[in-house]
This record gives sequence, structure tokens and C-alpha cells, in this order.
Amino acid sequence: MMASSYNAKEEDGHITVSGPGTLKSKKPDNTAFKQQRLPAWQPILTAGTVLPAFFVIGLLFIPIGIGLYVTSNNIKEFEIDYTGTEPSSPCYNCSVNFSWNSSRPCSCSLPFTLEQPFESNVFVYYGLSNFYQNHRRYVKSRDDSQLNGNVDSLKSPSKECEPYAHSDDKPIAPCGAIANSMFNDTLELFFMDPNGTRIQIPLTKRGIAWWTDKHVKFRNPGGDNPNLTSVFQGTSKPVNWHRPVSELDSDPENNGFVNEDFIVWMRTAALPTFRKLYRIVQKKSHLVPTLPSGNYTLEVVYNYPVRSFDGRKRMILSTISWMGGKNPFLGLAYITVGAVCFLLGVVLLVIHHKYGSRNNSADIPN
Amino acid sequence: MDNISGEFALVISGHSLAHALEADMEAELLMTACACKAVICCRVTPMQKALVVELIKKHKKAVTLAIGDGANDVSMIKSAHIGVGISGQEGIQAVLASDYSFAQFRFLQRLLLVHGRWSYLRMCRFLCYFFYKNFAFTMVHFWFGFFCGFSAQTVYDQYFITLYNILYTSLPVLAMGIFDQDVPDRRSLEYPKLYEPGQLNLLFNKREFFICISQGIYTSLVLFFVPYAVLSNASQDTAEPLADYQTFAVTTATALVIVVSVQIALDTGYWTIINHVFVWGSLGLFFSIMLAMHSQTLFSSSPNQFHFVGSAQSTLLQPVVWLTIALATVICIVPVLAFRFLKLDLKPQLSDTVRYTQLVRQKKRKAVCFSGGAGVRGAAGSTSEGRLGARGGSRRSGYAFAHQEGFGELITSGKNMRLSSLALASFASRHSSSWIDTLRKKKHSHTPTPPGAASGDSSPAPSCVSGSAAPPLSNSPSVLGGSQDAAIEEEEARTPPPSPLQAKPGSSTSHARPPSTTLLAASESTQGPSTGGGPGDTAPSAQGESGGWTLSLGAVQEALSNWRSLGVRSSSPGPPSL
Repeated sequence: MMASSYNAKEEDGHITVSGPGTLKSKKPDNTAFKQQRLPAWQPILTAGTVLPAFFVIGLLFIPIGIGLYVTSNNIKEFEIDYTGTEPSSPCYNCSVNFSWNSSRPCSCSLPFTLEQPFESNVFVYYGLSNFYQNHRRYVKSRDDSQLNGNVDSLKSPSKECEPYAHSDDKPIAPCGAIANSMFNDTLELFFMDPNGTRIQIPLTKRGIAWWTDKHVKFRNPGGDNPNLTSVFQGTSKPVNWHRPVSELDSDPENNGFVNEDFIVWMRTAALPTFRKLYRIVQKKSHLVPTLPSGNYTLEVVYNYPVRSFDGRKRMILSTISWMGGKNPFLGLAYITVGAVCFLLGVVLLVIHHKYGSRNNSADIPN
Repeated sequence: MDNISGEFALVISGHSLAHALEADMEAELLMTACACKAVICCRVTPMQKALVVELIKKHKKAVTLAIGDGANDVSMIKSAHIGVGISGQEGIQAVLASDYSFAQFRFLQRLLLVHGRWSYLRMCRFLCYFFYKNFAFTMVHFWFGFFCGFSAQTVYDQYFITLYNILYTSLPVLAMGIFDQDVPDRRSLEYPKLYEPGQLNLLFNKREFFICISQGIYTSLVLFFVPYAVLSNASQDTAEPLADYQTFAVTTATALVIVVSVQIALDTGYWTIINHVFVWGSLGLFFSIMLAMHSQTLFSSSPNQFHFVGSAQSTLLQPVVWLTIALATVICIVPVLAFRFLKLDLKPQLSDTVRYTQLVRQKKRKAVCFSGGAGVRGAAGSTSEGRLGARGGSRRSGYAFAHQEGFGELITSGKNMRLSSLALASFASRHSSSWIDTLRKKKHSHTPTPPGAASGDSSPAPSCVSGSAAPPLSNSPSVLGGSQDAAIEEEEARTPPPSPLQAKPGSSTSHARPPSTTLLAASESTQGPSTGGGPGDTAPSAQGESGGWTLSLGAVQEALSNWRSLGVRSSSPGPPSL
């Protein structure tokens, strides 16, 4: 029985306030907004909407996953660890005999073989493990306005850079722990021709940093002054560097703060195991693979100590596709999720048919 | 809630209550009172009213509500959990002391069944979602701690952390907390059983809270580890690695905002235009603010503050990033969808069933509206729909005209209505095929003799007006000693003899004599019981036309009909209710 048929003295009782002269009604406005009658869409999770959604997701994800997996499998990657922890490793002597103020750099060379030829552009990365570039104190330790070329910040670095802000009573340029720990190993690749000659593979050092980093975020102080030695006069190099920042590269467009290796290093990594782009092997022509299969040698100038914190160093060679480097996880994850979705849809369909409530004849108990 | 068996009521006066509320007796009073269906305390002082409320509050695990209109109710209103004051004849003392106030007692039903229920529903959904989104947001840092040496490095950009709860996720949940409805207000009143979840604390208790929290933790796990697994080895299509901190931050933040937006979209059950604006607007706001903050303009103004320059633009152009976000969203949302669907399918609550039937009815009505445009019967059809779809609150009258005998007989035969009154029962048991014939027969048989029972009490004619006319009014035969036959002949005699069945123009809508006119009108035209129009009082004219013996009765009749018309009008003379 509808409970709303009550007796009422008047239509909808309202209180009228008689002010000076006017009769103001306290009845609230009968608008759709105030009476909560706004037109609205009321969705319901019915079998007709949910189950097709599951099947669609499943059918969409599985082909995407397969495409990603196949693409990833076609990308070629090669990795070689050159930390030198075992005595049998060529770089063992360099890693053991490392000292901070050694004048002669230590070199080692590692031979490796490429089973398959690498086509198109090949990218050379260096990888570090157990290196926490995402530690909070480390991430804070930089001065972005100094790196942007601000002369005031050049002479007085920010407090965040402490204790790497001053050395020898002079401000450090670039200041901070991130700059101080810049990776300074030199890697060179040589191809061992079958007839015995060593061919050095030309490596490009330009084009490895983000465009916004190179052209907006990092600017040399003093505008376009090519004489960087005078620009950086009165500052000292970071403590762990061999050379000052004005001598990073002979190319004036790659010197100072805008040196691309420096920029790449300053873009801190999110995880303790990471890789950074080092060099690019440009493709030659369509007919010849960039790196043919065969024997190669990696020559390392071992400047960067990682043994003290159980870190590891490695070199990675990789080709690229539209989805970036080799990433089997993405393809497998898509296939798995798609399959699980589809299976879930089937299971829910079965359950719905056998046990689901029949909403056709809605009998509402009262 | 106690199981009350038997129909007992307790009536206790103030004097006795004074003794019953003594310390040694009050437990007994409580037990007795709670075993009754209703308790009436009369002649009580304000203090005693408050003491009774406090007795219940102290010993029973229940929420108490006190409603009153006078200054003597103030203490009771104050001591109950919820105090309701009625503003009106007795002043506004009760209003000033109460939590809610309105003008008429009958509004209490709407307060409880509609607004109270909606408020509980909205509050529970709001709370659940709020805990969920904050756990999803914050626990990512917990998982990241394992990979950053527990140095408290944040995963997101600092500005995102500031704006997440203020701008990006606050408006949609606010809109849900204000506008959400699971069933419309009419259905809430129709099915009082929907009020039960509020009383049983079903929508937000420890179990629901735990489920909210676990969903938040699961989401945070997915939101951290999926980008972790994908981006740690990924590169852009220009070969720069995607594993840098800023790309990771942008990816995780975007995935988070999208996932919680999809979740609020699933939680919202009533999408007004405002909900749409808030949900999609918040997403748009997120992207625009992020792109603005990562722009070169802001960076040049303060390099140390806005050091994320170029991140969003660079990251969000990578297909791998969007694939990661889509993967994370699906992994987060699909289990939720599956659980909710299963719950709805296997164990639907009453509100789910009501909601479903309501929407099915709406669809059917739309279909009928579109298809029933033409035809004579279409008029009647649309009238009935008009009644069905009439908005609660404003009363509309429906008029249907047809040139043949319509539904009047069906209605007046009482076959499709509850027979709640004696007279109606006797009327319906006539077994006459046509009411018109009955009427004609009576007219012919009674015209020569004056009606024995001269007390013209056209009593239960309202039978065709509403199925359940107010019983005291319809039992007026006992008051005035008349019978049903007398009523009919009375009305007949009042009208001009040549056309006894002719509907009086204008008077058909008269309030002053709803019984006569509607009865007569029903035979001629299927004029439904009408409530519109003012009381076109034609009684004097009828009086003059009738025979002399009715003059003295006419005055009585007039008084009676006036008295009754108030009752009839108020007893919702609409069509048989749904």
C-alpha cells in the first residue's frame, strides 16, 4: 500500500514569513536541482554489458600482446659485464688496483662475439647495478639554476649541493653529488675482421640526450661565449673529476654544461639497476648490416670504481623499434591479461547461466 | 530490532510514569514497552519525555529519534540522537533545539525513507572511495621504498602530491556524495524495507572498510610494479631509456589518476550532468596542469622549482607508456568489475532489484510512448502513463474522453479495488451487469415513494473516487441512518428528472458534491474522478429543482457534503494507486 497518501490540511504546508509589507515564503524552490530531480543516467552492471566488455578486452589484448612479443623478439640485444670481479676477467687488475689519484688510466679489453648481425642504428649503453641514483639525498643534490646558466648560481651554488658545493674556497661548477659521481669510463668497439685486422667502429656522441635537456634545461653561463675556460673562471671542478667542466669535449657545442654525456648522467634513474645511452653506431646503408656477426673487442678505460658498494658495470648493444628496446615483459603481460580476461568472461557467463538471478520477472517482496 | 509478537500497546499516564521511571522499576518498564507495538505516554511532563528517551538510549542499542512541535518537547528533542522539530502553530522553540525541522508531521516519512537513506548511502560510498584512493596513492611510496634504499624519495612530482587530493580527485567524489541515488524517491517511499541496510549498518562496517583498504593496497601494488617491470628495460623510440625518475613519475601519476577516475565512474550510480563535468573535467585538469607545469615557460621563471621540464611532453608521446597505463588500468579494474557483477547476479540486494525494475519500467514506458501516439485508445493510454509518470510532489489530474462506455463500470464494480468500506462492499455485491441499468431500475422503483430514510447521506459514493475512502466518512450510513439505495435515489431526485443521467456542466468538477456528480458523470462520459477545478457549488440550484421534500434535507445534505468534501478531496481521489 502506498504510504504516501497522507491526509494533509493544505497542499504542501509552507510557512510564510510576513516581513514589512511582503509575504516571503520559506518553501524551497521547486527546481530540478534543489529537489534532486536532475535528469540522470543510471547505469547497471547487467550481464549484457559486463560479459561483452570482458570478451572485448580479452580479444583486444591478446593480439596486442602477440604483436608486442613478436616485435620484442625481433630486437637484438647484447650485454657484457665488465666489472672485473673474478680473477679470470680481463678487467680484474683494473678494478682491484683502482686508486683515486692515479695518473695513468687503466685499460682492459674484453672479446665478445655477435651471433647475429645488427641492422639499422645500433645503440651502445652502459649499465650500472646496485647504484641508487634514486636516493632522496642524492636526487636533491643539484642546482638546476646553475645548470641553466645563471651566473649568480654559478658563483654561489644552492644549499642543496652541500657538501659538494665548495672546494678550495671556490664554488664547484657543476655542484652536487649527482655531478660529482659522473660516469667516466671510456668504451670503444673494435671489429675483428676474419683476415685479422682490427677495425674501429665509429661511435657518435651527439644525439644521446633529450632535446629539452640539451636546449632548454642545460645552458652554459655567459651566453654563447665559446671560451668556456674564462666563463668558468673562479670555479673549481667537482672533487671526483679528472678534468674541469670546460674541458669535457673539444667540440664547443658539446662542452661545458651542455655536454651530452653529462646531461645523460644528470637525468637520474628511477631504479637501482639502470642503463644510460652512451653512443650511437649509425647505420651505413641498407645492404650492409651495421654490425655484422663475428668477433668484436670492447676496450675499456676503467675510471669508474664500483667495487666498493658491490656495484656492477656492463655494456649493452641494442637495436630499436617503435616500442623502444627489447621488452618481453610487456608482450607477455598483455597476452596473460587478455587470456585471463577472456577466461573470466567465460566463467562468469557459465555462472550467470546456471545460478544467476532471473531479473525478467522482478518480484519485489514487500 | 525486537521481534514483537502479538499486537499490544501500552498506555501510561504521567503519574504512573513517574513511578515507573524510578531506578528499580525502569528495567521492567523498558522490557514491557519493548514488547509492545506501540507505547503511548500521555499527560507527561517535558522532563519525563526526556527521561523516557534516555531510558531507551541507555539500555538499547538503537538510534532514537524524537519529534515534537512545542516548547515542552525541547528536552526530549535534545536528549534523543536525532531531534526533529515541527515549526508551526506552537512556535519555533522546538525548531531551534532540533537537528531537522519541517512544517508538517507527514514530512517525517520523507525525511527518513528518502533523505536519510540517501544520506547514509552517499556517506558510505564516499568514505569507501576516499580510503581507497588515498591508499592507492600513498602505498606506492611504500613499495618504492624497497628500491630506493628506504630514503623516503617520492615517486611522484611534488606538485602532483599537493594537487592530487585537492584538484584531481576531489570533485568527482564530491559530486557523488551530493547527487547519488540508488533508487528514486518514489520507490524509496514505496518499499520501506529499503531502509533496513541503514539500521543494520550494512554499507560501511569493519568488513567493508577492510575491503576498501585491500583494494587500495592491491591497486598500489599494480600501479608500482607494472611500470617498474615495463620501464626498467624500456627505451623511447629514440633509444633514450625510459627508466629515468621523471618518466617513471609521470607514468605512475597518470596511471593513478586514470585508475581512480575509472573507479569513481564505476562507483557513481546516478550520473547527472554535474557528475560528468566533474569526472571528465578532473581528468582534463590533470593533463592540462601537468603539461603546464612541465612547460618551458614555468621552468624559465624558476628552474629549481619546475625541474620536470619536458617530461610530460616526452613521456606521453611514447606508445610504450600508454600501453603500460592501459595494462595497469585493466589489471586494477577487471577484478572489481568481476566481483561486483557476481554480487549483483548471485545475491542482489533489494535496492538492486528495485533499481533494475525501475529502469526496465522506464524503458518500457519510453517504448510505449513512442508507439502509442495514434488511436482513440491512445488518449486513454497516455493518460494512464501520465499518471504513472507523474512527478511526485505536484498533483496532476488526468482527463480521458471517449464516445463509448469506458472504464467507469469496471471501476465502480469494485472488482479491481480493495473493498475497505462496508458500503462499498455492499455496493459491489450487487452483481449487476450494468450500473446504469441498476440506476435506472432504482429510479423507477423509488420515485413515487419518498425515501424512508430521509437523511440524504450520499455516503459511500466516493467508491469510484478512490479505492480506500476514509472509513469514518464512508460509514456515515451509521451516522445518518441512511442506506445505499437512499443515497442513489437522493442524488437522482436532486437532479432534474428529464435527464437524470446528464452530467451537469461545470458541476462535474465540483468539489462540493463529488459523489453525485462523479457517479452520474461516469455513466455518461468516462470522466475520471477529477479533483481539479474549484468547488463549483451548484447545490442551491439543485435544491431548487428538486422536490419540496428535499428542501429540508438539502440543507443537511449541503452541510454534510461540505464536511465530506474536505475528506474526499484529501483522500487522494486519484486513480487506483500503483
